[in-house]
Amino acid sequence: MSQSAVAEIPLQPGQPRRFLMPETQTAMLFLLPSFLGFMIFMALPILASLALSFTNWQLISTPSFVGFQNYIKLFTVDPAFYTILRNTLFFAVEYLALNIAVSLTLAVWISSLKRGKAIFRVIFFLPTFTPTIAASVVWLLIFTPDGLADAVIRALGLGLPNFLLNPTWAMQAIILVTLWANVGYNVVMFNAALDLVPKHYLEAATIDGANAWQQFWRIRLPLISPTVFFATVMTAITSLQVFDEIFAMTRGGPGSATATLGFAIYQKGFTNFQMGYASALAWVMFVMIMALTILQFHMQRKWVHYDD
Amino acid sequence: MKVLKKTLLLAAIGGSLLATTASAEQVNLTWQMWTGSDADTKGWQHLADMVTTKYPDIKVTLTTTGWVDYWTRLPVLAASGQLADIVSMQSLRMPNFVSLLEPLNERIAADKFDVGAFTPSIIGGMSVDKQLYGLPYDVGPWVIYYNQDALEAAGVPLPKPGWTLAEFTDAAKKLTKDGKYGFGITPTNYSVLAAAWGDKYVNDAGELDLTNPSAVAAADRVIGFAAKDKVAPLVPSSADAGTVIQGRFYSGNVAMYIDGPWSIIGMKDKVKFKIGSTSLPRGDGELTAVTAGSGFGIATTSKNKDAAWKAIQVLTSPEALQYLAEQGRALPARTASQPSWYKVAAKDITNGGEAIDYSLAHSVPYVITNNWAAVENLFNQYFPPAFGGSADAKQTMESIQSLAQQ
Repeated sequence: MSQSAVAEIPLQPGQPRRFLMPETQTAMLFLLPSFLGFMIFMALPILASLALSFTNWQLISTPSFVGFQNYIKLFTVDPAFYTILRNTLFFAVEYLALNIAVSLTLAVWISSLKRGKAIFRVIFFLPTFTPTIAASVVWLLIFTPDGLADAVIRALGLGLPNFLLNPTWAMQAIILVTLWANVGYNVVMFNAALDLVPKHYLEAATIDGANAWQQFWRIRLPLISPTVFFATVMTAITSLQVFDEIFAMTRGGPGSATATLGFAIYQKGFTNFQMGYASALAWVMFVMIMALTILQFHMQRKWVHYDD
Repeated sequence: MKVLKKTLLLAAIGGSLLATTASAEQVNLTWQMWTGSDADTKGWQHLADMVTTKYPDIKVTLTTTGWVDYWTRLPVLAASGQLADIVSMQSLRMPNFVSLLEPLNERIAADKFDVGAFTPSIIGGMSVDKQLYGLPYDVGPWVIYYNQDALEAAGVPLPKPGWTLAEFTDAAKKLTKDGKYGFGITPTNYSVLAAAWGDKYVNDAGELDLTNPSAVAAADRVIGFAAKDKVAPLVPSSADAGTVIQGRFYSGNVAMYIDGPWSIIGMKDKVKFKIGSTSLPRGDGELTAVTAGSGFGIATTSKNKDAAWKAIQVLTSPEALQYLAEQGRALPARTASQPSWYKVAAKDITNGGEAIDYSLAHSVPYVITNNWAAVENLFNQYFPPAFGGSADAKQTMESIQSLAQQ
C-alpha cells in the first residue's frame, strides 16, 4: 500500500484525530517518569541556581536581588577566583592527557595479550566500583605525613616532599588518585573498540611490512577515533567537575593549591553559606564545560574518522 | 425521667471521655542533635525519654548526625523548611544561626526560670545582644590532655595548671623522641592558643584582624611547634585535623593535645595509658582561657513552641545535667551539677578537676567573627604548609585575612 493510499483513508465522523502514532504514545508514557524526574530534579534546580546567582542568598535568610554583583565580584574582587580557575584547568588538562594516554596504552597492551584479557580488564575496572570518597580516604592515609607514601619515597631515595603538604605536589596526588579510580572506564571502552578493528586490515598491513607502531598509528587509532573522541569529551567534562578526591584528601589545601571550581562551589555554598555566590561559580563552570565541549566537537573534524 | 437521667449520664460519660482525650493529646516534637558515638546517642535518647517521663503528652523524637555534618545539614534543613522543633546549638556558631531560633527572654521572665543557676560565660555564649536563644547543657574551657605514662617515662614533672609556655615547650621537646611527638596541634588550635596568650586576632570593632603584630606573633609561636621546634607532627590540610590528632593521642603517638571536657566520654575507653590534664600554657601574663558550650533552642518555625520550651527545660534540668555529668558527656552548664562531673568523669584523670577549675577561674569570652566557620576552614587550608615550613606566619595570616573577607 502506498503512502498516499494511507493518507486517503478518510476519518470517520466523531473519531478522534490521532495526535501521535500509538507507538509514540507508548514511548511517551514510558519516558514520562524519567522526563518528570529530569524536570523536577535537574531542569528546575538548574534554573533555580541561575536565578540564585543574581541574589545574595545565605541559605538561612531570604534572598535579595543583587544583579550581576556576584559575577562582578568573582572576576574583579575575589583574590582566589583566578587561582581556582587555573587549578581547575591545570587539573583538567593534565588529567585528561594522562587518562587518555594511560588508558589507551593499557587497552592496546590488553588487546595484544593472548591470554588473560578478561582478568586484566576486571583488574583495571575494579577501582571504578569503589565509591570515590572511600577510596580517597584510604589514599589520604597513604599520603598523610609519615604515612606509606613518605616511607616509599624515603626508601627509594627520591627526595620528594610530602605530597599533601607541598603546594606544588598536592595536585599531583589528586591527579594520581583520580587516575587510579577512573582510568578503568576508558580502558574497557578502548579495549572493546580495538577488538572491533577488522583483522584483515592488520593482516594486509603486516604483509605490506608495517610494524606494530605503524599499524597502531595508521590503522587502529583512526578506526577507534570516534571512541577516543567520546572518551575525551566525557573525561574532560568529569575532570572539570572534580570534587570527591579534593573534598576527602585536601579540602582545597595546602593553601589554595587544590581548590578547584567544584570544591569552591561546595565551600562557598555549604560552609560559608554564600549560596548566591556559589551559584554564580557554578554557572561559570557550566559555561567553561560548554565552551570546551563545543571546541572539542569543532576540532573532531580534523582527527575523528567515521565509517560513513 | 429515668430515660432523661440515663441520657444525661451517658452524655456526661461521653463528655468526660472527650475531655480526657483532649487533655492527653500527644505532642510530637523533633530534636536534632550531633553525636560522636553510640554511647553519646544513648545519652541523648535518655534525655529525650526524660521529657516524656515528666510530660507524658510530649514525645521527643531524636535525630542525630556527626558533628561536622550537623553544621552542613542545619542551614540546608532550615532553607527547606525542615528544621526540628528543638535545635541544638554550639555557642561558637550561635551568631551564624541566631535567626533560626526563638528568643527566650520573655518565656524566662514569665516562668521565672533561674538563669543564675548556670555558669555566666555559657549564658553569654548562648546570647546575642543580651537576648538568650538557647538553654545551655554544657560549658568547657579548652585544656591540655596528656599521656601521663609518657611524661613519667621522659622524666617530665606532671604539669600544674597555670604552667608557662616555656615550661610547655620544654616538656614537648623532652617528649619528642623515637618517632613520637610531644604535642599534637591542629590549625584551629590557633585562636584558642592566641586567646590564652592574650593575643588579639579580632579588633575592637569585632572584625577579623589577623595581620596585627600580636596575631602574627601568636601564629609564629603556633607554627613554630611544628616548623621550628619540630615537637608536633605535620597535619595534612584535609577533612578533620582534630580527629586525626585525637587518634594519634589515643594511640600514644603524641603525648599532649588540646581538647575540651566534652571529649572525655570517648577518651578513657580508647587509651591504654593514664590520662592527665592541665590548663593551656600561659604567656607572659595570666592565662586567659576561652570557653565554649552548647545548648538547645526552639526553632522559629516550630508549631509547638510551648511544648518545646517545656522540653528544653527538662533537657537542661538539674537531673538531666546530673545524668550527662555521670556519663562523662559534658561538664554541666549548671554550677550546682558540676561537682558530679568532677567526681565521676574527671576522677580517673590526673588533675582533671583542677585543670577545669583553674581554666574556668581564668576564663574569657571566646571572641569570634560572624563568619567563623569560613575562617576556620581557611586555618585548615593555610596552616599546614606553614607547619611544613613552606610559608611563614606573616604570609599565612595575610592570605587568610584577605580570603576571609570575600
